[in-house]
Amino acid sequence: MKARTGYSTSLKQEFLKKWIKGIRIYSNFKKDMNILERKKAIKLSADLAIASTRNASTRWSRTLTANISKNETNKIFVEQIFSDSEVIKKEAPSRLMARSNRIASKKIWRRSHITQIKARKMGPYAVKARSIAKKLVKNRTKVLKSLVPGGENMDGISLIKETLDYIVSLRVQVDVMRRLASAAENSTRLGLSSKCSVHWLQGIFTVLDHWCAMVH
Amino acid sequence: MQPGGRELEAMNINSLLNQEQSLQEMNNHQNGQPQMSSHFDPTSSHDDFLDQMMSSIPSSNSSFNWDVSSDAARADHALPSTLLSQFDDQSAQLISKLRQHQISSGAAKVLMLQQQLLLSRGLTGNGLRTPSGASGGESGLLQIPLNLTNGDHADVVDGSFQSTNPADDASVQGLFNGFTGTLGQTANQSQHFHHPQAQNFGASAVPGMNQPAASGSTGGGTPAQPRQRVRARRGQATDPHSIAERLRRERIAERMKALQELVPNANKTDKASMLDEIIDYVKFLQLQVKVLSMSRLGGATAVAPLVADMSSERRSSNGTQTASSSNNNETMTVTENQVAKLMEEDMGTAMQYLQGKGLCLMPISLATAISAATCHSRNPLAATNNLNTSNNPLISGEHGGPTSPSMSVLTVQSAAIGGNGAGEASVKDATSFSK
Repeated sequence: MKARTGYSTSLKQEFLKKWIKGIRIYSNFKKDMNILERKKAIKLSADLAIASTRNASTRWSRTLTANISKNETNKIFVEQIFSDSEVIKKEAPSRLMARSNRIASKKIWRRSHITQIKARKMGPYAVKARSIAKKLVKNRTKVLKSLVPGGENMDGISLIKETLDYIVSLRVQVDVMRRLASAAENSTRLGLSSKCSVHWLQGIFTVLDHWCAMVH
Repeated sequence: MQPGGRELEAMNINSLLNQEQSLQEMNNHQNGQPQMSSHFDPTSSHDDFLDQMMSSIPSSNSSFNWDVSSDAARADHALPSTLLSQFDDQSAQLISKLRQHQISSGAAKVLMLQQQLLLSRGLTGNGLRTPSGASGGESGLLQIPLNLTNGDHADVVDGSFQSTNPADDASVQGLFNGFTGTLGQTANQSQHFHHPQAQNFGASAVPGMNQPAASGSTGGGTPAQPRQRVRARRGQATDPHSIAERLRRERIAERMKALQELVPNANKTDKASMLDEIIDYVKFLQLQVKVLSMSRLGGATAVAPLVADMSSERRSSNGTQTASSSNNNETMTVTENQVAKLMEEDMGTAMQYLQGKGLCLMPISLATAISAATCHSRNPLAATNNLNTSNNPLISGEHGGPTSPSMSVLTVQSAAIGGNGAGEASVKDATSFSK
């Protein structure tokens, strides 16, 4: 458990730094943003930051980055942020489809054969219960696939692995963002930063400096 | 049968007591292959100990009574001395042969000798044991050479359960091709020899040893590379397809177990309900990210546009996702839109609307605190709130909280009491607003 908390702390710091970097770049990009754009900026840079902590080693991070880069305006932003190292890989969809088709046909034959065998062995009720359970699991897997970015063409095993990683990253993201939000709120109350909407960025940075000083 | 086993037991115990240090050093180099050749040290002391044992067998027998408390059926230990006298010579020969082979050969030969040893004991006292099948035997025998050669028991025993030594599994199964169920019984007894060594494993290993059929089949049944014909477990096919399926299912199961630690409320054993919890948790986290990106923007006034934006986002994203357009999402969207519209006009009517729906507004920090209190999770942050509410709102009214406004949205999963027998869970959004 100790190792795990240490690892997540470093993860949080990395995410925080990248997030700040993203926000700074974005604000340099567009000087005056209204509230909606600000929200978009924050969320975007947060997503990019958390995806980049994985260094494109997981499917979800790659898909997330790719989805963000799909938007033209964001693309420039993304390229600016990751001018140094980031490689945005994407598996050729055609190759995936061919492989999954072959596997799918084999699975279908196998499944029908198995149900025949099972229907002979077990009673009809057991078979039906089992098929219902399988259908439930299948539906839920489909929903999960839609939730996790990039989870569409993955089989059960890697899907669960990706989900695991994704949940960990989401938790880190939420934790850091929440701390920032509460810290900003406290600092506003204490009068450390300005409340004005124009200076929201400076306010955040003041808070962040305080926090980084605390952490290190 | 029993006495011979006890002799082995004695050897093992003394190897523990005398050479814990050296064995642990050797264990540091342990990998999948058996390390018979590196264990010269124990053999010399084994010789000495065996001589001691031969001279003082009754005393050694009595010393072993303390470790057999876990198995009630071992009352047949009461007749040690008579049987011992019969088997002394045989056992001495076999044991010396065994240790010779320990130095020079691999695990297979050791197993062969041990099996000869056990067979020579006769199968008289075996009726008391319930046969647990070949799987029990092989896991028991598998533990014998590994325990004889190194003292790092936790790894070894767990390894034998979880087949981290595929080579050993394969060789053991190969040896078992010709054996009958009775041998399984004798071997089953032999695995009880390791109870004293298994003491430091805790409860997890011992019940595993007592019911090796379950773990043995999962551990030994799926060797990584079966070099020989795999002996069929009882009631399971040796079909490569089913083995592959079993392997796949195990991998999924172990990953789900890892997920169980992350997701709160994950004490469900059912796969479908675990998936349900996972889905809810992921949705919750994603929603939190979205909300947190809105909060503390410093803009005191324009709250409603944010809400409207969120609902429009959700609507657009739902349009693209065909799979997840369920009843829940639609009701949520509708409610959200309504609330957003109302909030633009008048906060009061918006609040009344929410209350009529059985929802409320609260700051997200309070929501977190509540969910931490009601939820069984270890992590106070992560809680999909399962609150049973009737049509009463969660908390009445608003909160005069922090000075500056913060928008936060909390997903509350409320299951209606009574009314619906099926207990549907409709996910509703409670928009929170604090003045």
